[in-house]
Amino acid sequence: LPTPPARLPYVPHVPPGALLGKVTATTFALERPRCVFDGHADASDAVWLAVAFANASGAFRNPPSRAEVPPYKQLPTARSYMTLETAAAAYSCSAPSPPVLRVGSDTACRDQGRQDPCNGPLPSPGPYRVKFLLMGCSGPKAETRWSEPILLRRALSPSTIEPAPARHGSAVVVIASILASLGAVLASAVLGALGAKVWGFLCHRDLGTDAFIRRSYRTHHIPPALPQPLRPGCGWSPPGLCHSAPQPPAPC
Amino acid sequence: MAKSDDCVHILQGLLVFGNVVIGMCGIALTAECIYFVSNPHGLYPLLKTTENSDIYAAAWIGIFVGLALFALSILGIIGVIKASRTLLMVYIILMLITFAFEMASCITAATHRDSLTPQLLLKQMLERYQNSEPANNSDSEVTKTWDELMLQNHCCGVQGPSDWQEYTSAFRRTHSDADYPWPRPCCVLDAQGLPVNLDGCKLGVPGYYNSNGCYDAISGPVNKHAWGVAWFGFAILCWTFCVLLGTIFYWSGIEY
Repeated sequence: LPTPPARLPYVPHVPPGALLGKVTATTFALERPRCVFDGHADASDAVWLAVAFANASGAFRNPPSRAEVPPYKQLPTARSYMTLETAAAAYSCSAPSPPVLRVGSDTACRDQGRQDPCNGPLPSPGPYRVKFLLMGCSGPKAETRWSEPILLRRALSPSTIEPAPARHGSAVVVIASILASLGAVLASAVLGALGAKVWGFLCHRDLGTDAFIRRSYRTHHIPPALPQPLRPGCGWSPPGLCHSAPQPPAPC
Repeated sequence: MAKSDDCVHILQGLLVFGNVVIGMCGIALTAECIYFVSNPHGLYPLLKTTENSDIYAAAWIGIFVGLALFALSILGIIGVIKASRTLLMVYIILMLITFAFEMASCITAATHRDSLTPQLLLKQMLERYQNSEPANNSDSEVTKTWDELMLQNHCCGVQGPSDWQEYTSAFRRTHSDADYPWPRPCCVLDAQGLPVNLDGCKLGVPGYYNSNGCYDAISGPVNKHAWGVAWFGFAILCWTFCVLLGTIFYWSGIEY
């Protein structure tokens, strides 16, 4: 009768730090357990991650041997699978390693429909619960506790975005109103000037006295009249010559 | 009369000076609008697809208004010096038309300064970026513009990389969430254009991805240019108003 696996008190969890991609729509990250399996693991043992839907975690049964590990492909039917097979030495205290594990990073696992255990992206937002399982040659040797339910992101459709109506600042109102009034003043000034000229022209008023701007005065030069040459005997008596009887002038 | 002659000369001098300033401002306005229209930040495709390209229409009007102001200022100077009623009447009428066009350009630029909201850009980016079935050519231009924007400004999305996580998108239809939580240009790239640490980028480890959004890089230049066109145009119009009033007064005093 195989001994039941030792229950370790470690609870898997999403890393608490600021990682923008720690939970996406199809993947999530877990903090790497360190020093958790020391004392239980041999050199040849492997640590698996069991992933199950949160409402199916209670029904999960540890596989008795490596051959019966549920692969990623069984997730829709069995509601759970195991993945991330790693040598136990990678989780020991002295192992230098990246601080997070990423569940769901192998897209080839899903696209190629592989039957072996691989780390495919999760098909639905979940929620999921995970636990680590230390498997030896004879079966499971230790397990951690189930994690809290991990809910993946759900993306909204961009049609839900309402482009907010632009609020026009007061500067637009100021510009528009000032410009409109300037334009109106100009138009009325031009019309007024034109109207005054037309009205004055129609009333035949002498406009010369109103104008203050004179162009160069083009005077019409009228030469002074020269005296006509004298015609003798044309009815013109020179002064001083007295005739006894005035005679009518003869026609010239 | 010497006194009214002096007044006339002062008025002529003021009008000539006013027209010189209008001419120079017209050239400056043309230069500014040409700079804006030449698309220095490569943002025109984004504005065109969000139907926000009225700012460009305002800038195009500004180019021609600037040239018209320059030409008309020369006409005005000649008309004032020769005290010719016909030239000045032509000048006043053409200036009024130019005034009206510049008014339209100014108000359009001021109105559209605030119409480029983050939600508008976000919706357009999600629907068009990396669209595998582009409805027309503008989608591929949007993709190219966004790629260049994210690479040059070291930014991601409109408000951040979480835009790609919070909403489904055309990008998501062709790129799986596990491999591409956000597009590759959002990762910190090395000299060859490859991500420095791809896993770090996918996880969102600070330092391996660009965490800030591109909205400031887009709205900053657009708003600056729109504001420049609007306020400079407004200043020119105020000055032109004074010069035109003086010209109308001068014109009404010229004897026939």
